Order: sequence, then structure tokens, then C-alpha cells
Amino acid sequence: MDLARIRLICAAICASLALSGSASCAQDGLMEKPHKSLLRTEAVEYLYPEQVTLPAGKSSPVTLHFRIQPNLHINSHTPREQYLIPTVFSIPESSGVRLADATYPAGADFTLPADPNEKLLVYSGDFAIETKIVATPGDHLVEAKLRYQACDQNACMPPKTITVPIDVIGK
Amino acid sequence: MKRNTIVIGITLLILATFAWAGWANWEYRKQAAERALAAASHAELVPATAGDVSAEASRLTGNPAPDFTLQDLSGASVSLTSFKGKPLLINFWATWCGPCKIETPWLIELQNEYGPKGFQIIGISTEGNDLKPDDKDGWAHDKAAIAKFVKEQRMQYPVLINGDSLVGKYGGLDVMPTSVYVDRNGKVVAVQLGISSKEDMAAHIEKAIASGS
Repeated sequence: MDLARIRLICAAICASLALSGSASCAQDGLMEKPHKSLLRTEAVEYLYPEQVTLPAGKSSPVTLHFRIQPNLHINSHTPREQYLIPTVFSIPESSGVRLADATYPAGADFTLPADPNEKLLVYSGDFAIETKIVATPGDHLVEAKLRYQACDQNACMPPKTITVPIDVIGK
Repeated sequence: MKRNTIVIGITLLILATFAWAGWANWEYRKQAAERALAAASHAELVPATAGDVSAEASRLTGNPAPDFTLQDLSGASVSLTSFKGKPLLINFWATWCGPCKIETPWLIELQNEYGPKGFQIIGISTEGNDLKPDDKDGWAHDKAAIAKFVKEQRMQYPVLINGDSLVGKYGGLDVMPTSVYVDRNGKVVAVQLGISSKEDMAAHIEKAIASGS
């Protein structure tokens, strides 16, 4: 009984030391690849999640939340006019994480004061993209991308691609 | 009793180690997030509202319009100097810009109205896509989209491409459309960001015509 207890305690100590060691190792690795979190841009800001834990190898739902600055709007994923640049979310192929699917919000009708006849389909304020992500086992600091083109009522800004930093842990 | 004390002590040690590992991990991630935020929060010019003139653009006013040589859709080189002596509206626009599309019919009408007085509009497509000079496919796609827009909108005034190469000279060009009004002497008399109304544009044009007379 006493021997069993001692073995149990020893195992627990080894496990805790291994855990703390792996945390240190992970941190050393991360030092070379800074985690770009809470990235702010002037037109669109990524809000959350910063970190998700998913079952490795399985397509899992992750909802990504964004905020558009007041008085600005961006085109929806499916703008009505072909000449407008759609909002598109993507994940780089070499990140250890794959984007299996992305469902974008429908968007809302918006009319520029100078052209009341044309209805645009836009996002404004907060919006969310519902994704399905497949992660390989391990900790992946994914630098996903959101491409958008923002305007206000009278002017537009050039298209922009922002980094969407997500710490994806596949278990 | 002594054995129990040892067990409790070791258990506390384990718990403390776990707590330390968790805290260290959380602290590291917090610091990494702060570093990333600091790296990302670089200065970037953004218009507050259309019509406001950014500090860079406002520096143009009262100074000679920066010279340029760009290609038109046929590939011919066109320089600002080739319009010497004419009051001008240099209109930076983009194919993806809804307000630019609204403004274009006004520009056509204004060209027709003030053209007989020597006034000339120069449209410069500024797509903001940072194409490299050797990106043939990119440029071909760009030119096709511009040509389509020009044809659909029936733009009769000269249209040049690659306005992005003038970002440094013309104050950032981070707002489309940007209209630069130039008098006969080549001096910038007004800069307008975004659209307002045809009447506002006409007033600026009349100022450009009157200024260099």
C-alpha cells in the first residue's frame, strides 16, 4: 500500500515536471513566431476567439467574430454587383489547420445617399463567420486572413487583407 | 503522522507546480498578445469622413501638381506636362469603388460643360492592389476590369492606369475617389476626398478656371 502510494506520487511529480517542461519548450518555440493577437485595423477588427481546442482530424465548428468601425461598411461575401470586392476568410495551407467550410452572414441592404436606386449588400457593426476547421494534432498558431474592402457613405478605402490570429490546439 | 505530512507536502508541491505552469503559460500568451498588438498598431491614415482632406493631401493645395507619366489603356504614355496650360481635374478612382461609379456621370457632364473653356478631366485608375511590374496576369486582369468600367460608364475623358505609383506624390491616395483641381499654371487649388455633389465639383472647377487666368 505504502509502496503503491509512493509510486503514485512519483508518477504525479514526473507528470507535473513534464507538463511544466513542455510549457517552457512551447514558449521557446513561440518566441520565434510571435502570436499576433488582438490585431487592430482601422476598418475591421478581429475580436475572438483567440484560442480554440478541437478534436484533431475532425471538422469542428468555430465562430469568428469581427467588428467594423462605426460609419463604415464592407461588402458581404456575395455582393450584388460583380465589380465589388467580396469579404473572404481564408487559412494558409501550411498552417496545420484546414478550413473545411465557411458560412458568412447574409448582409444587410445599404443604399448610398447619392444613389438611392442601387441597393448594396453589406456588413456593418459586428459580424461573425461560422467556420468548420480541421486541425492536425498539436498547437498551431494560425495566421488566417480576412480580405475586405471598406467604404463609408461617400468614399472607399483600398481593399485590405488583415491577419486573423487564432491559436488552434488539436487534441 | 510523519508519512502523512510527507504525502501532503508532496501533493502541495505538485499542485504548486501545476499552478506555476498554468500561470507561466497564461503570462507568456498575454505578453505575446501585447507584443503583437504593439506591432500591429502602426500608424495608418484613415479618412474620418468623406470630404475631409488628410494632412498629406492638404499639403498639395497651393503647390504645383506633382508631375507624372502613366500609360493609358492603349499602352501610350501620357504625362501631366502634356496638359500644360489647361485647368484640370485629376480624378483618382477605382473599379471597386461604388461612390466613384456614382460620380462618373457627373464628371462626363462637367467635361462636356467646361471643356469648351479649356478644362480637362484626367481619370487615373488606382486599384490599390500593389501589382508588381512583372505580374503580367495581374496587369492584364486589372486593365480588363478598367476597360470594362470605362466602356460601361462611357468615360470619354483620358483614363490612365497605375495610379498606385503616385501614392507618395499625391498624399497617400487612401480614399477613393480623390479629386485634385489644378489651375492653368499647374498649381493645385483644391483637393476633395470622396464625393459630395456635382455642384460642389462645378464650384471647384470654376475656381481652377478662374485661378490661373
